[in-house]
Amino acid sequence: MDLTVLFEQYPYLREAITAAAVIFVNLCALFILIAAKRERRFDDRHWIRESRGYMLVCGDQAYSLGAAEVLIGRHPAADIRFPDTEISRFHALLSLSDGQWRIEDIGAQNGVLVNGRRIHKPCILHQNDAITIGKRRLIVVKGAEGRD
Amino acid sequence: MARQRPDLDISAPRSMQRAGKFTGLLLLLFSAALVYLAWTLVTKSPYYMAKSGGTTYGKVLDRSGDVLFDGTQSLSNYPAGQFADVGSLIGDTSGQMSNTIVARNIGELANYSFLYGNGGTTLLNTTLSHTANKTVWNAFGAKNGTAIAYNWKTGEVLICLSKPCIDIAQGYANLDSMPSGSLLCKAFYPTVPGSTQKVSTLIAAYEKCGIKKVNALEFSCSGSWVNASGGQINCHLSSGHGMQNLSEAFANSCNPYFAQLVQSEMLPLSALIETYTRMGYSVNGEEAEPLTMDGITIPAASTTLTDKNEFETQWGALGQGKTLVSPFQLMLWEGAIANGSGSAIKPYLLSSKTDTDGNVTKLGGLKPTAQMFSAEAAAAVRDIMTENAANHYAWAFGSRRCGVKSGTAQVRTDGKEYENSFLTGFCLDDDCPVAFCVMIEERTSSDVSAPQIAGTLLNAAAAALAE
Amino acid sequence: MAARRAISHPFLLFSVLIAHAVMLVLVVLSFGVTHEVIKLACYVLAADFFGSVLLQLVQREACTVDTVLLLVLGMSTIYQSCFGGLAFASKHFIVGMASFFIAQLSYLLVRNPYTAEKLKPLWYTMFFGLVGAIIFLTGSRSMWIDLGFITLQPSEFVKPVFVLICASSIGTQLRKSEIAGFHFVPDNLMLIFCTAVIAGLQWWCRDLGSLPTFVAAAGCGILLRFCYLREKVSVRLTVFLAACAVALVIAAWNLAPAYVQERLHTDIWADMSGSGYQQVKALTAIAEGGWFGKGAGNGTLINVAASRTDIVFSSICEEWGLFTGLMTIVLVLFLPASVITVPPRSYYHSGLAVGVAAVFMVQMALNIFGSCNLIPFTGVTIPFISQGGSSMLSSGILAGFLKAAQAPVLTNRLAAQKKGGR
Repeated sequence: MDLTVLFEQYPYLREAITAAAVIFVNLCALFILIAAKRERRFDDRHWIRESRGYMLVCGDQAYSLGAAEVLIGRHPAADIRFPDTEISRFHALLSLSDGQWRIEDIGAQNGVLVNGRRIHKPCILHQNDAITIGKRRLIVVKGAEGRD
Repeated sequence: MARQRPDLDISAPRSMQRAGKFTGLLLLLFSAALVYLAWTLVTKSPYYMAKSGGTTYGKVLDRSGDVLFDGTQSLSNYPAGQFADVGSLIGDTSGQMSNTIVARNIGELANYSFLYGNGGTTLLNTTLSHTANKTVWNAFGAKNGTAIAYNWKTGEVLICLSKPCIDIAQGYANLDSMPSGSLLCKAFYPTVPGSTQKVSTLIAAYEKCGIKKVNALEFSCSGSWVNASGGQINCHLSSGHGMQNLSEAFANSCNPYFAQLVQSEMLPLSALIETYTRMGYSVNGEEAEPLTMDGITIPAASTTLTDKNEFETQWGALGQGKTLVSPFQLMLWEGAIANGSGSAIKPYLLSSKTDTDGNVTKLGGLKPTAQMFSAEAAAAVRDIMTENAANHYAWAFGSRRCGVKSGTAQVRTDGKEYENSFLTGFCLDDDCPVAFCVMIEERTSSDVSAPQIAGTLLNAAAAALAE
Repeated sequence: MAARRAISHPFLLFSVLIAHAVMLVLVVLSFGVTHEVIKLACYVLAADFFGSVLLQLVQREACTVDTVLLLVLGMSTIYQSCFGGLAFASKHFIVGMASFFIAQLSYLLVRNPYTAEKLKPLWYTMFFGLVGAIIFLTGSRSMWIDLGFITLQPSEFVKPVFVLICASSIGTQLRKSEIAGFHFVPDNLMLIFCTAVIAGLQWWCRDLGSLPTFVAAAGCGILLRFCYLREKVSVRLTVFLAACAVALVIAAWNLAPAYVQERLHTDIWADMSGSGYQQVKALTAIAEGGWFGKGAGNGTLINVAASRTDIVFSSICEEWGLFTGLMTIVLVLFLPASVITVPPRSYYHSGLAVGVAAVFMVQMALNIFGSCNLIPFTGVTIPFISQGGSSMLSSGILAGFLKAAQAPVLTNRLAAQKKGGR
C-alpha cells in the first residue's frame, strides 16, 4: 500500500487529513467538556444525597452547608458568621462524614448547646435539632429542592 | 414541627470557591502565554529557518526590478560589478556584515512561510535606483567617500553608496587586502561634519533670537579671531572676509563669524544645547536615541559643548573637533529644512515584500520624525541655503532650485591629517524633491568636487523619479 | 431526572477510541499498513477498551479526569512511537498504563479528605525518606537511583508527597501551639520547613530545574491558607504577597550560582552549536513542521538529545504540526481545569487540587516555554507526554488527587459508599 503517489498527486491531501484528525480529536475534547458540565449537576445531586440536603436556619436567615467542613464564629473567615460578643472568633465546626453532620466545640468560651445540652465531644446532628451559640439559635433544616 | 423550609442551597463557602478561581487564574495565565508562544513561533519562524540555514533566500530588487542581492543562485552568474556599489548597504547572507538590509531583515528574505514551508522566491523591493547609484559611484572617480539621497516628500531612499565597497560576488577570500571601510556603509556612521554643522548652529540661533535679529547680525573677520579665553579660531581665508552679515558669512562659511555668534550674549549655551538635543545630538555624553532605517542602526550625532567662551566648544559648534554626525542624519535635517516644517519624513529603503505565495506586503510608508526644530527656523534656513546655492553653485546645478551648505572636515587619524569635503542640501524642484549629502574623503583641490558629484546625483535622481 | 443524567460514559470512552483511531489513520498514511502499525493500533485501542471496562467496574464517577487521562496517554504513545520512524514505544506504553492504574490507587488513598489529612505524619515520613534516599542513594548528586532493570528518580516522587503536605484543612489551621508566647500552627511551620529542605536539596544537587515546581506548590499552599482564614483577601495583602513573589524571583535571578546565571543569559542564536543547540534545533523543527507537520515519522529532531523528554513539544510539532501540539497541551490542561467544573467539597481536597494544578502547569510552562526560548531552558518534563518512568508515575499519582477532589468519599462504610456511588 503506497500512498506517496497519492500525496504527490494532491499536494494538500495530507494537510487536509491532518486537519480533519485534529478536528476529530477536538470533538472528543468537546464531548469531555460537555460531560464535565453534566458531571457538575451529577455531583450536586450526589452532594445533596451525601449531605442530606441539610441547611442551618437562624431566624429568617438560611445558611448553606456546601462543604464538608463549615466554620461558625465571629471571625471574618467563618463560613457562618455572627458579630455577637458572646460568640468566640472560632466557635464551632460542623463536619460531614459517614453521611452525618457532626458539630464540634472548638474552644468556644460560652460553649455549644445542642437541644439545650452543652456538648463536650463531637455530636451528631439530626433534622430539627436546635443549636444554641451565644444568643443565636440555629435549626437544622432540610432544604426544599426546587423542581425544574 | 412546621418550620419554614428554605430553598436548598449547596454552594460551597466563599473561602473554598477561591481554590477554583485561583486555578482558573493560573489556567488563564498559562493560556495567554500559550497564545503568545504560538504567535511568536508563527511570526518568528522565518527567522529561525534563516538562522539555522534551513532555508534559501530570495532576491532584493531596486525600484525598477534590477537585482541587488540574489539568494537563489550564485552571484557570479551576474555580470561583473553588478553588486559592486551596494555590497555594504544591501549586504548578503554570509553573516560577515551585520548592519545591512539583508542581515537586519534576514527573516523577511527567507523563502519560507509557516503554512507552506520552504519554496518559491521572496522578493524584497527597495526604493533604491541602481542606475542612479552607479552613475554617482562613477562620478566619484578614483576618490572614496559616500553619497546618500532621498525623496524628502515620500521618504524613498534613491541613492546610497559608500566607497570603497566590497563586491559580494567576489566573496571574502581576500578580506585582509581589502581597503579599510569596505564592509560598512559610511553614510550610516558619524564622522566630523565640517562646516555643514553651521546649519545646526544657525538653527539654534534662529530659534533663540528670532529670524530678523540673526539675519541682521554683523561680525567682522580678519582671517583669524581670538576668543574670550584666548583661543584662536582661524578662517580658511587667511586674508579675512571683513565685516559681513549672516547671509554672506554663511556663503563664505566664515569660522570667526560663527565663533563670535556662539560666544555672543544673545545665544546662551543652554539654548544651543537644547536645540542640538532636539535635533538628535548626544550632547556632552547624554544618551541620544540612535536612528534606524529598515532595521539598520545609525548611531546618533554627538558633540561636546561645555563653555561658550572656550575654543573646544566653539570649534565643536563649527563642526570640527569632537563633533560627529553621520551623512544620513545630515540628509535627514535637510529633509526637514526642505519641507519647511522642521520635521522630516523618515527615509526608508524597503518598499514592499512579495512573499513566496505572491502576496505583496507594503513595508515602507510616510512616517514623520519628531519636531526637530521650529518651522520658522526651517523656512529661514531654507532661504539662506537657496540663496547660497543660487549665488555660488549655479555652475553645478544649472537651473535647479537648490539649497546647499558645503563643509570641510579636518580629520586627524593614525597620525595622518587630511580633509574630507562635504556638501549637504536639497532640491526644491517638483521633478526632483531630493535631500542629499555627499562626502569625498581626503579631497585635494585637483580632485572632483562635492558640488560636481551633487549635480550628477540630482540629475540621476530626477531621472530615476521620472521613470 | 432523566434530563440531568451525565453523558453516557461508554459513549464518552467510545469517542476517545475514535479519536485514537483517527490518529492511527494518520500513522497509516505515513507508513502504510505494516506489522508495527498494527501492533501500535492494537495496543492503544485495547488500552482504551480495557481502561473503559475497568472504569465501569470500579468507579463510575469523575469520568473527566479518567477520560482525559486515557485520551492523553493513548495520544502520547502514538507520538512517542512515531518520532523519527515507527517503533512501538512499549516502555512508554507500559509506564503509561501503570500510571493510569496508580492514579486509581492514589484516588482510593486520598478520596477521603479526613483520612488523607490524618495520614500527614506518614506523608512527612515519606517526604524525609525520599529526601534521605536522594542524599544517600543517588550517585554523586545525579538524583537517579539505578536499580539495574529500571532507573528511578526519587525527586519526581517527592512532588506528589509534597502536594499532600501543602494541602491543609481549616480544622488543622485552627489548631495552634504556643512556645514562649509565640502562637503558631504546627502544620504551617512544617510546610515552610519542608520547602526549605527541598530547596536546599535542589541547590545541593545543582538541579534547580524543578525548584520552581516546588516553590509554586508551596506558594499555592500558603496562599490558600491565607484565603481560608480571610473572608476577603485585602488589597494590601495581595500587593504584599505579589511583592514578596517578585522580590523572591529577582533575588533568585541575581543570586543564582554561576552555572544558572550562564543559562539565564544565553543567547541561543549566538551559540547555535554549543549551549543553544537543543533550543535552536527545537525552534527550527517547529518552523519546519508548520501548522500541519511533516507527517508522522518524518521528523529529524530524534537525533537531538532529549527529543522525547525536554523538547518533546517541538518533536510533536515537527511531525504533527503546531496545531496538534497546542491541542495536546490544551488537553493536558483539561486535567487541572476539572477543579473549575466540579468544585471540591473539602478544604484538604481543594488544597490538593490547586497544588496539582500548580505542579502540572509550572512543569509544562518550564518545558514548553523553555524549549521555545521564552524563558531559560531547564530539563523538566510535560506530564503524560514526555518519556520517563518516574515522572509518568508521579504524574499519575497527582492525577489521582484531582480525581479525589472530583469525587470525594466522606465515609468509610462500604454500604454508604455504594449508595453514594450510584
